[in-house]
Amino acid sequence: MMPKLIKKIEFDKTISKWFKSYDVIAPVSSKEGIHFKRIKDPKEIKLDGNQNSIYPPKNVFLPQSEVLFTVKNDNYEMPDQAPRKRIVFGMRPCDARAVWLLDTIFNKADDLDLYWGKRREKALIISVGCASMCSNGFCDTVGSGPFGKDGSDILITELDDAYFVDPLTSAGEALIKSLPEADDTQGKNAKLIQKGSVIKEHQAADLPRIREKLYEAFNTSIWKDVSESCLGCGVCTYLCPTCFCFDIVDEIDRSERVRNWDTCMFRVYSAEASGHNPRPTKAERTRQRIMHKFAYWVDNEAASGCTGCGRCISQCPVNLDIREMVQEITSLKIQ
Amino acid sequence: MSHTPKIVLFQCQYCLASSADQEWVENSLPENVKLVKVPCSGRISPLFIMNAFQKGADGVLVSGCMPEKCHYITSNLGARRQLDEFKKFLVFLGLEPARFEFLWMNIDERGVIQNELDAFTSNVKQLGPNKKFNTMKDEIIGQYHG
Amino acid sequence: MDDFSQVRKEAARILSEKIVDMVIGFKQGTIPLKSQPMFITSQEDTDKLILDGFCQNNLAVFLHDQPKDKRIGIICRACESRAVRALVIEHQVNRENLYLIGVPCMGILDWKKIQDAADGPVTNAQESGDQILLEIGDKKQVLIRNEFIVDSCRGCGHREPIDVDIQIGEISPIEMNADNLPQTWGESFKSKSADERFQLFTEETERCIRCYACREACPMCYCTECFVDHIAPRWSESMVTPGGTQAWHIIRAFHQTGRCVECGACERACPMDIKMVYLTDKLNDDMKKEYGFEVGENEEKQPPFATITLDDKNRFKY
Repeated sequence: MMPKLIKKIEFDKTISKWFKSYDVIAPVSSKEGIHFKRIKDPKEIKLDGNQNSIYPPKNVFLPQSEVLFTVKNDNYEMPDQAPRKRIVFGMRPCDARAVWLLDTIFNKADDLDLYWGKRREKALIISVGCASMCSNGFCDTVGSGPFGKDGSDILITELDDAYFVDPLTSAGEALIKSLPEADDTQGKNAKLIQKGSVIKEHQAADLPRIREKLYEAFNTSIWKDVSESCLGCGVCTYLCPTCFCFDIVDEIDRSERVRNWDTCMFRVYSAEASGHNPRPTKAERTRQRIMHKFAYWVDNEAASGCTGCGRCISQCPVNLDIREMVQEITSLKIQ
Repeated sequence: MSHTPKIVLFQCQYCLASSADQEWVENSLPENVKLVKVPCSGRISPLFIMNAFQKGADGVLVSGCMPEKCHYITSNLGARRQLDEFKKFLVFLGLEPARFEFLWMNIDERGVIQNELDAFTSNVKQLGPNKKFNTMKDEIIGQYHG
Repeated sequence: MDDFSQVRKEAARILSEKIVDMVIGFKQGTIPLKSQPMFITSQEDTDKLILDGFCQNNLAVFLHDQPKDKRIGIICRACESRAVRALVIEHQVNRENLYLIGVPCMGILDWKKIQDAADGPVTNAQESGDQILLEIGDKKQVLIRNEFIVDSCRGCGHREPIDVDIQIGEISPIEMNADNLPQTWGESFKSKSADERFQLFTEETERCIRCYACREACPMCYCTECFVDHIAPRWSESMVTPGGTQAWHIIRAFHQTGRCVECGACERACPMDIKMVYLTDKLNDDMKKEYGFEVGENEEKQPPFATITLDDKNRFKY
């Protein structure tokens, strides 16, 4: 597929053209930092260096709260939640990879989640690579990278005066058909930027070994040690681009059945009606989170469930660092 | 068309000594008033008030007994401490003070509830429909997180 | 604090003399501008103890999970000591089993604000007197410390740890120069009209993602079951619509009336940068005005909502 080019001076014009047939969702600046939002003007877009949003863009496909159906006069009505085609512009490769990973959960051919599926088929993901890695990111160690291609329809590399646009799927190619083609020098420059983005000291994580070690440590007390300072809030999981647990509740006053995000870090998540809680303390809950990311995902999809975006590290109120936790657990010597 | 305010009346079951008044509250309340009877005003949690406003009430009236006349000795004063502060808090967040009132009744008074309810309703009517804290009309799609 | 070694020594002493089984303090975080709570059971680890403006949590929150009969030492700034007293008054901890090491506090720093003010991603940060020394890659940057103190610590009226077993270090008055600083959120909120106030409140709460970091970071939120987790009766919707988030913020704050120790740990824990200290501050101010009650001021006095008395009969107009 031929790579194309958007000159920086023509950027606004190019994006504006999409408004006719698409809703464009892009990073804009907001009170808490960068936030993904539907834009009405290309000037709102904020693509500063390697800064990513605090709130993960997984909510484009799996909103934090979504109505599954409404009951009206004994009829069930499923709302049309994605009436228009959408372009998600400016996702970072870590988040795009997360969507690709979540497709293995929600978008299976024989087991499709209708709500996810509808949103997903009507959306194109245009991700923007990071010329330098963000300070807490470790995407290059968990199977992706600052220019990882998983999940994106189009990958953009920022050059000095233009954006180098690399279509990865046929849908992506169709969208940028009318753009001018990039020449060889620009192609080379883009390659250079992509190569220079990785941090040399970072080593790829040995996932099978981590998985094995985690299973070995399953019944040890190390989980209590690493989770001691955990507060039990939902920051790490709600901000995680691949966490997808949800809870379905009936909002009786609205006659709606709603699906909300939920998190394994809450005590009530696993509490049973009898009062018994199979994960009674923070240790078990933290174990679930780490095991899910680095063992169960590896079991099921041979990929780590962590895309290395670093949100849980930078936003955790007590600075629990998933890198350090995994390190500590895997270096544990079990007799 | 003038607006008929939706009123929620939280009523302590002991505060009306006169059976005529009690009868009136139970059977002839205006249609726009929703009655919630409680064993004592001390049972009224700020959450009740919050929920009433969220689910579309234009005004909330709490009726209880006079001090020292409480069936449970001091519970009405406990309620008063909390609800008085809760009102101040909602006003701090932008609610019009007239939308949330208290009515403390002496058991020898007759017909007070009708008059007070009328006065309260007309005050709330002047303010128009309550848009603050009323959350029943929110749609999820198009929200900040949607 | 200039000489922190004394605190480390004291922590080591109480561990070695078996006065306590565990000491709770802070250690250096894994990333710049952050620090991590630390639970020490062996003397050797006491060297790792630190205390600086980046220690954002209230350590008293960790007492909720510890058994009541466990003997615990805590490095206590004023906020922690007030929280411990409030917890003692509410019978949540046994004071006899706690050993409080009082240390002075110079105000907690807002790491997000520092990161925003820095010229790039901060790779190292250090406090030095009234300055913050930042390293951004090879570059260096100096910030004025006072400008980055969080709202809840500005004009802090409780700088002295109370009821501690040992006080180390002297409390020096903070030179705040508050005149040059912009108004705090709470002050500007108060000066607005009712409609503007509601608008501001709505804007703040609509960012809420209901991660409940504010609840979990709060030393005074210790209910085993929170009202938002109830299915029946359903007090608030569990959605991120105003129906859920407004109710959460209002009732969370209201449950803190006369109990909040004003440490601001809730606001610092919030990933979405939602202001909430102004809510509890307003409620606490009212409690002080109406009932003359201040948290931590008295060893015995229960919070106003826990005390019902017939003396109130003339308090309200009927």
